[in-house]
Amino acid sequence: MKLSRILQLPVLLASTLLAPVHHVAAEHTSNWAVLVGTSRFWFNYRHLANVLSMYRTVKRLGIPDSQIILMLPDDMACNPRNAFPGTVYSNSDRAVDLYGDNIEVDYRGYEVTVENFIRLLTDRVGDEMPRSKRLLTDDRSNILVYMTGHGGNEFLKFQDAEEIGAFDLADAFEQMWEKRRYHEILFMIDTCQANTMYSKLYSPNIIATGSSELDQSSYSHHADNDVGVAVIDRYTYYNLEFLESEVRDLSSKKTVGDLFDSYTFEKIHSHAGVRYDLFPGGADVARNRLLTDFFGNIQNIEVDGAKNSTVDDEMLALSRTIARLRVLADQEALESKNATTSANTETRPKKKIQLTKSLTDDNWWSKKVVGATTLAGCVALWTLGSYLEGSRK
Amino acid sequence: MPRLLSTILTLRRDPRLLKLPPYLSLLCIVVGVVWLLLLPLDDYSRRTYISENALLPGQVHTYFGGSDQNVFRAYRHEVDALKDKTNIEINDGLETIIKGIGLKVGRQNYTYHSAGNTYAGENAYAILHAPRGDATEAIVLVTAWKNVKGEFNRNGVALALTLARYFKRWSLWSKDIILVIPPDSRAGIQAWVDAYHDAHDSSNVASLPIKSGLLQGAVAVDYPHEGRFEGVHIVYDGVNGQLPNLDLINSINNIANGQMGMHSFIQERFGHSDKYNDRLKTMLRGMMNQGLGHAVGPHSSFIPYHVDAVTLQPVGNGWHDEMGLGRLVEGTFRSLNNLLEHLHQSFFFYLLIHKDRFVSIGTYLPSAMLVAVNFTIMAILMWVKSGSGDGSSAVTGTETVGGKKEVVTATPSAPPTAERELYLPLGIVIACHFLGALPLFIFNHTPSHLLAPFFLVFSIFNVTLPPLISNLVNLTATRPLTLQQLYLLKSFSLLLLGMFLSSLATLNFSLAFLVGLVSTPLSFARPWPNHAVVRYAYAALLHIVSPAAVVLAGTAAYASTMGLGENGSGLLDTLEYVLSEAAFGWDVWGLYIPLVVWCVWWPAWLVGSLVVLGQPGTKTKMKSA
Repeated sequence: MKLSRILQLPVLLASTLLAPVHHVAAEHTSNWAVLVGTSRFWFNYRHLANVLSMYRTVKRLGIPDSQIILMLPDDMACNPRNAFPGTVYSNSDRAVDLYGDNIEVDYRGYEVTVENFIRLLTDRVGDEMPRSKRLLTDDRSNILVYMTGHGGNEFLKFQDAEEIGAFDLADAFEQMWEKRRYHEILFMIDTCQANTMYSKLYSPNIIATGSSELDQSSYSHHADNDVGVAVIDRYTYYNLEFLESEVRDLSSKKTVGDLFDSYTFEKIHSHAGVRYDLFPGGADVARNRLLTDFFGNIQNIEVDGAKNSTVDDEMLALSRTIARLRVLADQEALESKNATTSANTETRPKKKIQLTKSLTDDNWWSKKVVGATTLAGCVALWTLGSYLEGSRK
Repeated sequence: MPRLLSTILTLRRDPRLLKLPPYLSLLCIVVGVVWLLLLPLDDYSRRTYISENALLPGQVHTYFGGSDQNVFRAYRHEVDALKDKTNIEINDGLETIIKGIGLKVGRQNYTYHSAGNTYAGENAYAILHAPRGDATEAIVLVTAWKNVKGEFNRNGVALALTLARYFKRWSLWSKDIILVIPPDSRAGIQAWVDAYHDAHDSSNVASLPIKSGLLQGAVAVDYPHEGRFEGVHIVYDGVNGQLPNLDLINSINNIANGQMGMHSFIQERFGHSDKYNDRLKTMLRGMMNQGLGHAVGPHSSFIPYHVDAVTLQPVGNGWHDEMGLGRLVEGTFRSLNNLLEHLHQSFFFYLLIHKDRFVSIGTYLPSAMLVAVNFTIMAILMWVKSGSGDGSSAVTGTETVGGKKEVVTATPSAPPTAERELYLPLGIVIACHFLGALPLFIFNHTPSHLLAPFFLVFSIFNVTLPPLISNLVNLTATRPLTLQQLYLLKSFSLLLLGMFLSSLATLNFSLAFLVGLVSTPLSFARPWPNHAVVRYAYAALLHIVSPAAVVLAGTAAYASTMGLGENGSGLLDTLEYVLSEAAFGWDVWGLYIPLVVWCVWWPAWLVGSLVVLGQPGTKTKMKSA
């Protein structure tokens, strides 16, 4: 076992030295989009229109339906209140029917739950789950996660019945990272107090943006007076406007930074937020990501036979670790030899027993003393009592 | 701590403590009334707002108009042709028209008997099934053939028919729309609503042949007004003082003011200045309607079934035409159509002081509660007094010499608790309350032409009743009522009154407040054994606030506002009208106000008068007097 590793080591070292240097992290091989509306009922028409217009945009930029997970909790097109049956519009000019052709809703109605959403992200699904309802991503997949609905401080309401917390979301993303289910994520959320939703994220490679700060509402853009409801939210509206005017096709070189810079209070009526700190390299690197890296379907095709840089990287790191460990082991052996010869002192690692640890450190001893005194007092009382009882008898 | 306790204990024995409650009670009344008068101020009222997200009032374009104007004129022509026909012929005509529109028609017979009169008729109604809806819910459009004042609702019926035809063309209804055309605004719609909820007495009211889903809202159009109008009067009071959800009124206000550019009014305050004076008048009129609890429009009958409803009446002279009102109804229906469940977000208990200012229950309730509490305080005081033994000794003191009385009252540092003689006072209070069933029965079962004379006879009898009962009790009992028994009498009576009124305040605030206010002299009623003048003066005061006197005064005031009070016969007619209205309410609408008057207020008043007339003396003195 050891021998074989030692034999492998020079080979690995050689291979890494020979491999091309550009093992850039930006390389991804697939694009996925998870588009989630979380509210039902007719007067929340705009949330479904938000999601559908996002759906339309990512489809326009080439992400196929097989890689889009669309969650719609209600069916506005078939709501009896809809004056234009079978359609959903996100603009009162009603130029584009978002519910027109080729729409594939993956989760609909009461399937849109917090549980299903988290199961989708972390791929903890049963065998019976069809592939169309799964997020079949790997560590080379860029994911756009877009959510909209009614939210509050660190939560987003699902269907008037339950809500997802910012911590749930952060943990789900972390699990995805641990399971190597994404390469980079662009997380967008349009809801009241949206920025609180991404505040708890802690997994790397995530760019997050939201429509409004803590205690700010996210407003609707305009209403269609024939449909009788607001049809789109401001934040989504201006995102779409930018995407439609600036990112016309996959050759667009507009970056994420350009999109974020287009957000102004005058347009959105709330303070849109951005979070770069989870991204390796911080704001500079994150801002330079192309929008098409998330909204489009750029496929960096891996030519068969070429080196998979990830595997190489990891093998290199592994061999380096092994080398370092070996050096350490050698040193240790040497030192122990010296020690036994010179002082013969005990260098064996002490057997450590993990003691129970109190949750708070403050006044640990004084609490013990108080406890002991109380116990002693009780015992004294009992003794006294039994003594008196005995004497009376 | 022990010192504090002992101070409290000594304070408890302090005779001065017993002097306090009457002042406390008076304070409660004064604060209660002042509280009510403060409500119209900005600090105590709030601006109305739409709290149900789904309503989205005024967010839709309304398209009623254009050629619908011609349709309206045609229908009005048809309605005019039916004007002088019988109920059945009218309904035949309406059925033909509605079937022409393509709706299912149902008809329902009803017969009510009240105060010797028979109210019979036939309702016609039609159901527009929502083309894409699931028929589990419905909204109602009501236009009575005649409005509450008995005027021919010519434009209203024509407008409703036009709207039904127009609504039929839309496919966006999530709820069925029911068009109801009762022959009158009072009995017919009640019969229909009762039958819709299967709460009717099938011997008098026929069941409905066709039905739809749960009623979610109702709008009544009362439009006898000819020509163009300035604004719309929103009538919202329901039977027994229940109110529709405030969101409905707000939505209509919002659509009328914001979208139609139409004025809206409430409580007949046309030209509301939004100053204190107008606000107070609006509030008081609302309270009066609530307190009387009668139906003020065809919508009133819906409200006890938790169906939010209002009546819209075009008023004034302006530039709005029938199409404007039609669009208002359309907009309201579109809002109601958006609803997902019953209106429940906003207030059901409120006092409107302006079309967009209201006082919520938490703010106004204390005023009625304080008035009710004053009775309870006095009841407790009377109970304590009756047990202190002070009563009988004081009587003996007064009976004898003045000097001795002082000795008696000065000595008891720890007054001995006297045995309370409960049975007689309790019996009298219970008997008085049962006696209340008598006027209740009489005034709800007398033919209407006898009502006024009966009432006058009753009023006179009412004056002689307290001395009569007082003497009767004194004659039959072994000895006249002692002071302690009078205290207990008052205690039980006020305790009951306080209890009734405070629970009534949560159901019908205005009624509880008004009855409480008129009954306040009962709190301070006490026997004046040695002051005949004071005794009779107070008895006279009580007669002024007796239920009979208040009803008479109310009738006179009503007659004078209607311009009928010039001569005695006009007054009698008005009295007959008021009483038959009350009987009608009891029989048809299920009003509980007569019950409150005759079985809560009147017995309390009777017992109060007995207490005042009580002369806790010896039997010999009674006989000599």
